[in-house]
Amino acid sequence: MYMQGLANFIDDFLGGLMLISYALVVGSILWSFVILKVTTAEVAAESVLSRSIKVLHIGAVALAASVGTKLVIKGLVLASTLGELPLGAYAGTVQFQAGLLRFFLALGFLWATRKLSESPADPTGWKTTLWLTVPLVISGAWLVHAVGRFEERALLMATTVVHQFAAAVWFGCVAQLLALWRAARKDADALALWPVAIGRFANMGIASVVLLLLTGLPLAWVYIGSWDGLFGTGYGSLVVTKVWLLLVALGFAYLNNRAGRRWRENPGDNTLITKVPYYIEAETFILIGILFIAATLSSQPPSVDIPDRTAQVSEVINMFLPRVPKIHSPSHEALMAGEAGRVAVVDKVPSVAGQEWSDYNHNVAGLFLTGMGIFAMLSYVRRFHWAQYWPLGFIGLSIFLFFRSDAETWPLGPIGFWESTFGNGEVFQHRIATLLAFVLGYMELKARTRPDAKKLQHIFPMLCAFGGILLLTHAHAQFELKSEFLIQSTHTTMGLLAVIMASGRWLELRLVTPDGQSAVEGRIAGFVAILAMFIIGNFLMFYREPLY
Amino acid sequence: MFSPKSFKAGSLAAALTLGTVLAAGDALAHAVVTESSLKEHPIQVNHATKVVLFFNSNVELALSKVFLVSKGDVHQPVDIARGKKPGEVMISVPALTEGDYALKYKVFAADGHLTEDVIRFKVTAQR
Ligand SMILES: [Cu+2]
Repeated sequence: MYMQGLANFIDDFLGGLMLISYALVVGSILWSFVILKVTTAEVAAESVLSRSIKVLHIGAVALAASVGTKLVIKGLVLASTLGELPLGAYAGTVQFQAGLLRFFLALGFLWATRKLSESPADPTGWKTTLWLTVPLVISGAWLVHAVGRFEERALLMATTVVHQFAAAVWFGCVAQLLALWRAARKDADALALWPVAIGRFANMGIASVVLLLLTGLPLAWVYIGSWDGLFGTGYGSLVVTKVWLLLVALGFAYLNNRAGRRWRENPGDNTLITKVPYYIEAETFILIGILFIAATLSSQPPSVDIPDRTAQVSEVINMFLPRVPKIHSPSHEALMAGEAGRVAVVDKVPSVAGQEWSDYNHNVAGLFLTGMGIFAMLSYVRRFHWAQYWPLGFIGLSIFLFFRSDAETWPLGPIGFWESTFGNGEVFQHRIATLLAFVLGYMELKARTRPDAKKLQHIFPMLCAFGGILLLTHAHAQFELKSEFLIQSTHTTMGLLAVIMASGRWLELRLVTPDGQSAVEGRIAGFVAILAMFIIGNFLMFYREPLY
Repeated sequence: MFSPKSFKAGSLAAALTLGTVLAAGDALAHAVVTESSLKEHPIQVNHATKVVLFFNSNVELALSKVFLVSKGDVHQPVDIARGKKPGEVMISVPALTEGDYALKYKVFAADGHLTEDVIRFKVTAQR
């Protein structure tokens, strides 16, 4: 059980990492050809090329590692779920073979980047690398949903591959832009290329977005098929979340394009240097979120296949409606008494105490977050300077979670602390979450109140992004009942908000004027982050678990 | 024993904020049953039957398992075979007495996802 939970989680997470490393590789290749013009006379400076090859190399290493690990982990998941692992059958699956092919292709890229780093401007080396990209992109077709389907199989596979390709170009190029910016701080050639690269990327970015929509819409049409399917299933709601994040990413892309245009009209305009790099950083957070959602999507049944398990839009809205938070918990005895019936496969009895216990946990946690949100907003007003101590709420929350999240274990239940922590995957993960809430509160408190602790500031948005991504990755509904989806719909929404919160706070920290004051855009972004936290708190505070 | 409910409750909160729900889960994924013969042909008392399930995706039978669950959550593995149509899986259910049962399946879909799910059913005497 312990191994299975952990392996499942890693399997899901690796799906996201695989997409990211694939995008790094594919995007870097396109970047080198289109923006660095490696095969033309206009080729970029050698220092810039080396930097780009380095990113490509990182992508290839990550791809080999994630694909390789996934093959092993998938085997472990199978072994622990089935109680045995028929190796021959596993090796015979399309998944295993396509994965293995990708693994070898990744090794091929490692070899190619080694060659390239010896002579970065060698057009032949680049052409070889380009040829390796073709089977890499095509092999993706056997790793998507569509491969198992009965209708329009080939068409769906091809469309998905093009969709993935477009996303990869976008993400990979954005990652390359970040690397170029880092280089530009020390390297004159990179600095000179920066505005040019922004301009060249604009066209490619637009092309990839158009391609994303052209392929995404028919896929959504086939896999979702109805409004209830869009809002009332895990698959649909992930697509909705993806679209929201896409809009935010497009907003950043628009700001970058505009800055590039202004620079071309008036090279004295320095937005391109003072703000754009940070927009690109925030955009990266969002794009990573999108890629993780994409990976999660592939582990959900398409909405069209589960018409009898689809929730109505009104039921989904009901999950988010305000109501009086529950601040009385059922007794621990009552909770434990109902557990046996609730987890039974046959003769399942929904447990009212279980539902109320859960509502109480969510609602109280929501009160913590909402309270923190209010104090954090107040802290923007000079008169309420003391409100900057709001991260203390996280410490309170962690103590609350410690007592409430696993009712069966110490201190409330019969199972000892060490025994439960190391004997059960879920409890282990909770204990880590609890500890992290505590650490986060402590660090953010220091970061906000002590001027000498500035370095700690970036931990908060990083962990928020990580948390948001984990929430989105773990959007596995137990779709036995649609009530599970209703719970998941709140998960997904909060994951979305957490990613927005992360990029907002990040921008606030990065967008400071040379005199140390925060820029207007930064303050707006910071406020958006706090607002997102406040809304998460609200959703939790009003949360009511469907009885099942 | 370790209820997913209390698990979710506590973890959600933490997850949202710093989101560290490395949530172990009943990783359910992609192959779902779109149709089953149980609806039209309920199982009769003391009568071994073949139950036919239709999945939305091709299923790797060698990497799949189906259990018959009876009262007290007793799990008993049952034989599965490929049906005639794509996505069709035949399950051999032994003769059963009256009562509540479930089929718990763990199947490996052609797209590489492992799905676990439960189908509940009743066996009643014909009147
Ligand atoms: Cu799938």
